Amino acid sequence: MIVRRLIQLIVVLIVVTFFASLLTSFLPGDPVTTIAPFSSAADRAQIRNQLNLNENIVVRYGDWLGHFLTGDMGREYAGTGVRGQAISARIQDSLPRSLLLMLYVQILTLLIAVPLGVYSAYRAGSRFDDLSNGFAFLLLSVPVYVVATLMLLFLSIQNHALPSEGWVALTTNPVEHFKHLAMPVIAITVGQVAIYARLLRSDMVATLQEDYILMAKSKGISDGRVLWRHALRPSSLTLLTVAGLNVGSLIGGALIVEVIFHLNGLGFAISDAINRRQYVALQDYIAVVAIVYVLVNFAVDGLYRVLDPRIRGARIG
Amino acid sequence: MTVFATVAALAVIASACGGGSSKSSTPTSAAGPATTAGIVDKSATDAKPVPGGSITYGLEADTSGGFCLYKAQLAIGGIQVARTIYDTLTMPGGDGKIHPYLAQSVTGSANNTIWTIKLRPNIKFTDNTPLDAATVKENLDHYRKDNQLFVFVFADITAVDVVDPLTVKVTSKVPWTAFPWFLWSSSRLGIMAKAQMESPDCNTKLIGTGPFEFVSWKFGDKFVAKKNPNYWYHDPKTGAQLPYLDQITYVPQEDGAKRTGSLEAGDYQMIHTSDALQTVQIRTDVAAGKLADTESDKYPELGYSMLNVTKAPFNNLAARQAFAYSVDRVTYNKLRNAGILQQASGPFGPGVDGYLAVTGVPNFDPTKAKAAAAQYKQETGKDLTFTISHTADPSTTQDAVLIQQMLKQNGGITTQLNAVPDQSTLINLAIGRQYDAVLWRNNPGADPDTQYVWWHCGNSPAAGTNPNGAAPCDNPVNFGGFNDPVINSDLDKGRSAPLGPARTKIYEEINKRFASQLWNLWSQYTLWTVAYKTSVHNVLGPALPDGAAPFEGLPTGHPVSGLWCDNGQC
Repeated sequence: MIVRRLIQLIVVLIVVTFFASLLTSFLPGDPVTTIAPFSSAADRAQIRNQLNLNENIVVRYGDWLGHFLTGDMGREYAGTGVRGQAISARIQDSLPRSLLLMLYVQILTLLIAVPLGVYSAYRAGSRFDDLSNGFAFLLLSVPVYVVATLMLLFLSIQNHALPSEGWVALTTNPVEHFKHLAMPVIAITVGQVAIYARLLRSDMVATLQEDYILMAKSKGISDGRVLWRHALRPSSLTLLTVAGLNVGSLIGGALIVEVIFHLNGLGFAISDAINRRQYVALQDYIAVVAIVYVLVNFAVDGLYRVLDPRIRGARIG
Repeated sequence: MTVFATVAALAVIASACGGGSSKSSTPTSAAGPATTAGIVDKSATDAKPVPGGSITYGLEADTSGGFCLYKAQLAIGGIQVARTIYDTLTMPGGDGKIHPYLAQSVTGSANNTIWTIKLRPNIKFTDNTPLDAATVKENLDHYRKDNQLFVFVFADITAVDVVDPLTVKVTSKVPWTAFPWFLWSSSRLGIMAKAQMESPDCNTKLIGTGPFEFVSWKFGDKFVAKKNPNYWYHDPKTGAQLPYLDQITYVPQEDGAKRTGSLEAGDYQMIHTSDALQTVQIRTDVAAGKLADTESDKYPELGYSMLNVTKAPFNNLAARQAFAYSVDRVTYNKLRNAGILQQASGPFGPGVDGYLAVTGVPNFDPTKAKAAAAQYKQETGKDLTFTISHTADPSTTQDAVLIQQMLKQNGGITTQLNAVPDQSTLINLAIGRQYDAVLWRNNPGADPDTQYVWWHCGNSPAAGTNPNGAAPCDNPVNFGGFNDPVINSDLDKGRSAPLGPARTKIYEEINKRFASQLWNLWSQYTLWTVAYKTSVHNVLGPALPDGAAPFEGLPTGHPVSGLWCDNGQC
């Protein structure tokens, strides 16, 4: 199992980073001109050489992969004769920010979506179900940046209740840490809640039709116990799958929120690397996102086995 | 809301010379828009400064590539940071003239071909090494040899020599009247310590003689500097040790509205902006007593449509005239800048030698626009049509769309828009002269000689750096490619002419020449606003060591040594 996952991790890493390399080569404009618009011919040649831009994409990619696998993530290109910022340092700084943001979003989302989904399923077809259904679609249709901007306006600029931006480490000041992350987390959570709650609701509705649920009810077990103890667990597989798949988009894709709230996480770093044509950094960031993505989904697979014993040792055919 | 593509990497060289500039302040209306036409400084006070406190300052952008100044390409945000850590040898004053700063004196020979820089004694870098002539020489040599833009700027320098431990001699191959301005170069020519220049981490380990000492910098996140307790300069008014603040933290926030919002929310104590609509918002806050601000359109940058005259259609004067006559700049300013910016009459803004209120720039005239377009067709056999390149941000796109509509409606000219994803791509287009017209911002005001590098052709030492090979003008940073013998000659004459009316006349001629040849189509002068909490004071800084009042231009940042806050609480 672990070996299979490890192989999967390597394959995903190679495929994702190779395609990232391919796509970056399609970016418009000469990267050397972007990096150093007024460089001399000699400097330009040196930059090309240093970035392997004279080589074909396969050679370039192989060179990067060799360095990455040996733990050498390189440095950003800052100019001829000048040492750029270590990419590993930026990852060290930005990855925990994105991971924590993702973690808080997932926790808050589940805390809201699970009760909402369970109760909607329990009251399927009721006025509450209709209302929560409509509310979920409303939340889904509001873009993250709208929620973020409205919160900024009311909670920060007008009422000074929460800081408008910035990052404070958990270890530095836990209260300030959560105050600074409250709005970014809520902004992302709003849309996620709608998705998770609707998914869970539909799975729960199906589960509640199962014979064993009928059996449990006929034994006189309370509705609450039936819902939370007997129906929730088997209904959670889809939710768990989506939560796992969501990790990638939350780590690398929280760009808008990271920019609006100036969190300087990995999503922001990726966008910045694209804009500044920092190809090596971009490859590194994408590789890190890919690794986290596979590891989280690896963990999710493990959770399947906890939630549903039938999956343990199951094989097709 | 005009956000022309900032030529971030470029808009840094110009400094100003200047005829005398009397302080002109036009009060703004309480909340509504008004043209500034001068400086409004709400941070000035007669109260006694209080040391202490720290400020978080929202910047327009971070500095890619770092702060190894002789390698760096600094835009306004980078310059503001550089001014915090480094000092320059000279600095302009409120009189519009250049004054010694780190230097005790900068003296020209009889014909201004040899400049002697005498340094102030007992000044130390924050690594405790002394400021001496050898270090200054090393700095100047790096700038003129290793900085790809200053290579052009300092092309006339033939030697930099150490005379004694506190004296440096600079030799120029031509008489160079405004040379002291170039030792400032929009605050970009900071003097670095030897240890920084020689370090492989030159871009991230900053060591200067400035009012603050480098603490840390995380790109895109924040730049932190703490008080330099041994700063050499004292407040000439009170005698107190500068700087007053304990710490400055710079935070890059590219979204102008967000930057203003964070100031309003109290997360920043200061910001800067050149976005007219943000200035209008700030004025509302100022009127409500929530914020204070300093606004200046003295020595301004220019927003303009830059034309590529190396190819059709803009190698034809009629085409340029048709464009100029089609655009109603008054309406444009009203719609896109809330009407608060001054119309630009030429490349030299108010306060700059050579400035003329009336230059002959064509005014909006649909009849003449159509006639010029018809003339173009008659001369070339083709309809006048071209592409306008611009950055893809919503604000600049709206600028471009409005210009496109005006061209169609008033001149019958069909245009295409080319929205490029970022400023870097736009600069690439400009360097390669792969555009017809582009929305642009550059040329901050200072001595008009500082514009030499952007417009002169014929003596560039490295024409080969143009990635696309030879071009009609051998100066690769003359992006429009115009090669005007009158402008070339006047720029040469202006460089060597002694300060005075004759020199002013030369630059006025250049101004008028631009208006008749229409190499660029000027829009508005930029208005820079520094906004802050009402507790913050003294944005323009202390008087200069020779007693001159502080400079009143803001396109290249402002000093931070004199900033202080009520009760040391910002």
